[in-house]
Amino acid sequence: MALRARDIVNHDATLIGRKAWTDPHIYELEKRGIFAKSWLFLAHESQLPNPGDFVQAYMCETPVIVVRGADREIHANINSCTHRGLPVCRADHGNATKFVCPYHNWTYSVEGELLAIPQEKHLQSKADKGPLGLKPVPRVESWNGMYFGSFDPEIEPLDAYLGDQRWYLDAFFQRFPSGVEFVGSPQRWIINANWKLPVENQIGDVNHGPFLHSAVIPPEANREVFELGRSAVTIPGHGATFRLMPEGTPVEHVAWGFEGMSALLAPEIHDYLREIHAHAEERVGPIRARMKGLTYGVFPNLSFLWSNTAFKVSHPRGPGRVEYWCWSVVPADAPDEFKKILRGNHTTLFGPGGIIEQEDSEAWSQQYVGSRIDFADDRPYYYGLGLGEEKFHPDLPGLVSVTANEFYARHFFLRWRDALEKVED
Amino acid sequence: MSGVTPELQHRVEQWYYREARLLDGRQYETWLALCDPTIRYIVPARGNPLVDNKQQGTEAMISVERELEGVDSDRLPIRDETLPHLMMRMQRAYKPNSWSENPPARTRRIVGNVEIVEATEAQLSVLSNFHLHYARPGSATFFYAGQRRDVLHTRDDHGDYRILRREVVLDMSEIEFPTVGIFF
Repeated sequence: MALRARDIVNHDATLIGRKAWTDPHIYELEKRGIFAKSWLFLAHESQLPNPGDFVQAYMCETPVIVVRGADREIHANINSCTHRGLPVCRADHGNATKFVCPYHNWTYSVEGELLAIPQEKHLQSKADKGPLGLKPVPRVESWNGMYFGSFDPEIEPLDAYLGDQRWYLDAFFQRFPSGVEFVGSPQRWIINANWKLPVENQIGDVNHGPFLHSAVIPPEANREVFELGRSAVTIPGHGATFRLMPEGTPVEHVAWGFEGMSALLAPEIHDYLREIHAHAEERVGPIRARMKGLTYGVFPNLSFLWSNTAFKVSHPRGPGRVEYWCWSVVPADAPDEFKKILRGNHTTLFGPGGIIEQEDSEAWSQQYVGSRIDFADDRPYYYGLGLGEEKFHPDLPGLVSVTANEFYARHFFLRWRDALEKVED
Repeated sequence: MSGVTPELQHRVEQWYYREARLLDGRQYETWLALCDPTIRYIVPARGNPLVDNKQQGTEAMISVERELEGVDSDRLPIRDETLPHLMMRMQRAYKPNSWSENPPARTRRIVGNVEIVEATEAQLSVLSNFHLHYARPGSATFFYAGQRRDVLHTRDDHGDYRILRREVVLDMSEIEFPTVGIFF
């Protein structure tokens, strides 16, 4: 008999069975119950300034072309020819006037309409091209320049889906006078792990920092997280962690970018960052101006590593494999030379060449190895740390607690369990 | 190129062999002394750009250079580092709690195709290829291949060089390695 979600996640999600990470049937349920029913991140508007600009994206395992059409709207279509299924676009970014399938040269507009079937020249009958365009992603919406797609035509609007998570995300986006931009293409990194562990790591698990990363993260930085760190859950499955610095904290201890290694090594950018921070309160208000971000998660698989300014998506490739995409983000109005310095806050420490994240990817891979130990299936993982210690906060939306409380993960798995139960036979 | 004597070629090759031995022997601190204080160490990303139809019929259409991202462009490299970054990596390697290297990976580098493309009194521009075998206990074995594009600073006539610039062009389609944070 097939495993059921209720057998894996107990009533309060304090115990999570190992099969959550490894079982092929559960993975199929995740595709139908979660990835077919959620808003999934596609691209940022800064990657697509002009008509014809496109980038490749994935929605779970589905390849998608995201393009700015001649109508200047963002379109998202499945990258598969309606004739024999080949991808019609092979580049990972660029500017195109049309997409052509290599097999028989079926030709599509960048918006996805079928324009030409070359074989028809030699035939008397003509196919009705109307329904033969690239299959569109039924819903595409944006917030703050972030484009998301959903396979569920009935899904709630993106604004409602993000809810109060927007308040936390805006603490970053609105901090900069001209917003942010994504730098180039994502780093794409294949890791032998389940997609949920990188996600859990970013929703709220900054508490592994002092332990797994003790070779690199200095003790004073860890102390700051223990003493001033907060973890917030607005809607189950989303999460935000940050340090709420005391009032009157000097700019240098709060301002975004100073804790990054590249900024420390490049004093020429300090005035620029100070200036941003000096006016942050006008843009994000007094509470959020004191926020020094750590990590965020948006259900199901978008992460935002504020501390090192990277957005990430954990694309599943089966239960034991993930394609982890990481983008650097920089302030849109920074001079080009500063952007090059700031992108290093991410690349040196995170991503496939990162000094810190090489420990994470090792942990994620080894967790998958441990989860496959059949003989330990009767020992589900303990997720009960800090049960019930989260509280509402006068100044911060959602439930709030110290970072050692694993409530962010319990909320994620309760949502996960409910989503899988809806599609179980 | 002209001006490259067999003696110079020999000295440079010997220097590369010694460098590979230091790295395979995990003597990163000794290796770091081969880096100039102003070193720039870059691993560009390897993208899949759209073919430019105007370049049809030319070598430029499929040149390696168009695939390299983030070296001097505004796109995103895998790494773009200076000496302090390399020192941080070296120091990390000698700590027991650098968990992804505990136990440490076993590596073996074969460096070949050493080609001195430019030689002045002060500097050498050298291309070389490498195959790097990387075995991580408890995990798996990985194989890296790539090209190093170096600028070496000539300190004397006896083959004592310092790396001023190293650009590492990796030949992967996808990054399926546990890390590209190693010294190539």
